[in-house]
Parts: sequence; structure tokens; C-alpha cells
Amino acid sequence: MSARAVARLGGVLFGALVFVAALAIWEAWARSAESFFLPPASEVALRAWDVWPSAGFLSAVGASLKRLAAGYAIGAITAVSVGLAMGSSPRVRRMLGPTTEFLRALPVIAVVPIAIVLVGAGDAMRIGVIAFGVFFPVLIATVDGVRAVPLEIRDSAALFHVRGVERSVRVYLPAALPTIFAGLRTSLSIGLVLVVISEIIGEGDGLGVYIRSQQTLFNVPEMYAAILFLGLLGYALNRLFLVVERRALTWHYGAVGDPVR
Amino acid sequence: MNVAGWLFVLAVLVLAEIAVRLFDLADSVAAPSATLGAFVDGMSSGTLSDELGRTLGSYVQGFALAVAVGVPLGIAIGSSRTIEDATAVVIEFLRPIPAVALIPLAILVFGLGTPMLRFVIAYAAVWPILVHTMYGVRGVDRMLYDVAATSGVRGASRIVRVTVPAALPSIATGIRVSAAIALVVCVTAEFFVGTAGVGAYMQAQQAAYRLPQLYAAAALAGLLGVAIDATLRSGERHALFWVGEEQARQR
Repeated sequence: MSARAVARLGGVLFGALVFVAALAIWEAWARSAESFFLPPASEVALRAWDVWPSAGFLSAVGASLKRLAAGYAIGAITAVSVGLAMGSSPRVRRMLGPTTEFLRALPVIAVVPIAIVLVGAGDAMRIGVIAFGVFFPVLIATVDGVRAVPLEIRDSAALFHVRGVERSVRVYLPAALPTIFAGLRTSLSIGLVLVVISEIIGEGDGLGVYIRSQQTLFNVPEMYAAILFLGLLGYALNRLFLVVERRALTWHYGAVGDPVR
Repeated sequence: MNVAGWLFVLAVLVLAEIAVRLFDLADSVAAPSATLGAFVDGMSSGTLSDELGRTLGSYVQGFALAVAVGVPLGIAIGSSRTIEDATAVVIEFLRPIPAVALIPLAILVFGLGTPMLRFVIAYAAVWPILVHTMYGVRGVDRMLYDVAATSGVRGASRIVRVTVPAALPSIATGIRVSAAIALVVCVTAEFFVGTAGVGAYMQAQQAAYRLPQLYAAAALAGLLGVAIDATLRSGERHALFWVGEEQARQR
């Protein structure tokens, strides 16, 4: 092992040590304070051990993930299509500019009651809200990515008479893909937040509903367990996304060198 | 002036108005004219503008807390490998937890008032600020430190006079990213609790099925988002006037 790798390993171990120390402080603090709202770390861990594999919790996770997948797919696909149109045509970009600026700044929660009135507080509302929130980061990334396509590539496309939809899909889309992936990654964590936002209101199943129902029952350790699970889920999804991204952009890194991060 | 863009907005609004009147949709969608009426009414009578004041109040408090924690912590982590290693696991553990998931817990701990809002807003906003500050500090040109060393600037004075100004563009980006996230969490928490703020107003209007008022509040939330972003952008341009200049000179 090189000296660098040893130092790196030492750093990680040090971080893990501090993490364990923080858990120990939490444990000691919670035991001495005996607060109802701050259960000891060990109690939360034990409860998580019981709750996480339980059928009710797993079905809540499944329902949330299904909504996330549907909303994410709808939001991302529409955003890339609109983004390609906006990126390749200054006219379309100008026309949709003020509208997208406003909708982008709109806090997504403002869409929730409007959607509830329109389609009820069910899955359609939830998936719609997730898709709405996922849309804008991907749209902006796609527009930026298409606008940044190098002149040589544009000229080559013109030279071969590639234009219109074909130019967007076969030239601009691949060239903008690295930027689009950055937007897709931002959107993934936003999507998880929106799963919770859309579920915390209304009835049904899902992690947001689970957390809220545990709150009304004053089951504090269960709430901590579910919140920690959401954190781990977010972390895992992000890791998974990086793997997919590296696969999908192999050709890109081959051309420009290894990823910076 | 983007004529085409605003004409498009106008066209959409006129079409919506016509559709609502023609197909009698007022039960499920508020007409733009009714929404505008409810907006003007709410702002002049104070029912909506008072809630806006309350939202801004808790938003600013929570956001200030996030800046006060995130920037110094980011500077510390960015300038010391040891601190970075020590905090890495704890931060990676806490950061992915969505702040909105903490709202029910925060209500139990802090109650329904402003302290709860302050906490969830700060929690949501602190991470982008922290991460951007950290990267900004880590990316400071080594040469600046060499210059500082030859000028005898070190320790705390080096942080204030070299590190912070050099990392400021990155810190500003972090603050701008956080601002939008914090607004979502703020209005969501208000909606959930239902006592004060634009979010609570929306919740009450939805429950009472007063659609024009509901749409007016949603529009206000959007305008608030636009205003916050515009304010931060212009503040950034003024505070960081030298960034643009330097780039212009390089071109």
C-alpha cells in the first residue's frame, strides 16, 4: 500500500471514530436527560432493527419508491425533450423564458394543494408533484448543455445536412449528456424530498405517511428510525446514480479523461 | 425586453380564462381574473400580506442561522485536512436526510411556533452552504497563500483577508442554492402546521375550497421565490463585482 493510500485509510478511520464518539455522546446525553423526544442511540438502533424489515414498513418503502420512479421518469423525459427544443432554438427559448423562470422559482409545495383540488390526494397528485419538481433542474441542465455544444460539432452537423429533430436527438442530446446527468443527479435528491412532501399530506401509504402516523402516535424512536432510513436511502440512490452515470458516460470520459470527482 | 416571452404568458392566461368560462371549470381551476382579484384583495386587506410578513420573518431567521453555522464550519473543514477527515462520516450521514422528513419530529420537539420553522429551514439550507464553502476554500489558489506568507499575513487574519474573499464566489453560489431549498421547506412546514405564514394560508384556502385565494397564495409563493433569487443575484453582482471584472480581463 502506498503512503497516500495509508493516509486515506487513516482519514476514513478517523472519521468513523468521530462518528462513533458522536453516537456515544448522543447515547450519554439522552440517558442523562431522559427526554421523551431524544431517545438514546441504542434504542433507536434496536427499534430500527425491528421496524425496517417489518412488512408494513417495507410496503411503505415500496410505495414511495414506485412513486419516485414514475414521477422521476415522467419529469426527466419531458424536461429533456423541452430542453432540447429550448436549447436548439433561441426563439423557443425566448418564448418560454419568463414562464419557466416563474415556475422554477415556485416552491413545489404551492403546487400540492392545487393538484389535490384537481386530481385528489392520491397517487396522481403525488406522481405529478414529483415530476414537476424533477422537471426544472433537468430542463435547465439540458438547455445549458445544448447551448454549450462546441461549434465544430454544430458545423459538422450542418455539413452533413443533419437538422431538426434528428440533429437534436443524434447530435445535441449525446453532446449535452454529461451536463444533463448533472441535472438528473440534482433532481434525484429533490425527487426524494418531494416523495416525502407529497406523502406527508393526505392519506394512503408511503414513508411520508408512515412518519406522520408515527408522530400522531408519539412513537418517537420509530420516527427516528424512518428518518434515518430516508437518509440512507438518499445516500444509496446517489451512489447508484454515480455508477449508472459512469457506465452511461464511459465514452465521454474516454474522450476527455477521468471524471474530476 | 423579451416581448415573445411575455406574449406567451399573456396568451396562456387568456386561454385559461376562456377555457374556465367556456367549460365552467371554476370548481376545479381558478380563473386568472378571479386569482388576480383575490391577490389584490388579499394584499390590500392584509390577510395575505400579513402571512407573507410572517413567512419572511421565519425564513430570514432560519436562513441566517444556516449561514452563521455553514460558512464558518465550511471554512474550518476546507482549510484543515484533519477537520475534514473528522467530520466526513458524520456529515455524509446527516446530509442526505431530507429536512421535510424532520418536520413532524421538529414539531414534537420545538412545538408549532417559529423555533420549529427556524430549525427545519436551517437544517435544509445549511448543507449546500457548507459544501460550497468547503469546496471554495479548498480551491483557493495556493499562490495567494504564498503571497500572504511573504507579506507576513497568517492565522486568523489570513482567513479573513485571503481565504474568505477568494472563496466568496463559491460561498455565494451555495447561499443561492440554499435559498430556494429553504423556501420550499419553510412553506411546507407552514402548510403542515397550519398556524401562520403563506403555507398555512394556502392550507386554509384549500380546506375551505376557495380556489382564487389558493391560486393567489401559490402565485405569491412563486413571486417570493423569484424575488429572493433576484435579490441574491444582484447582491452577488455587487459584492463580487471583481469576479466579473477578472473574467472580462482574461477574455
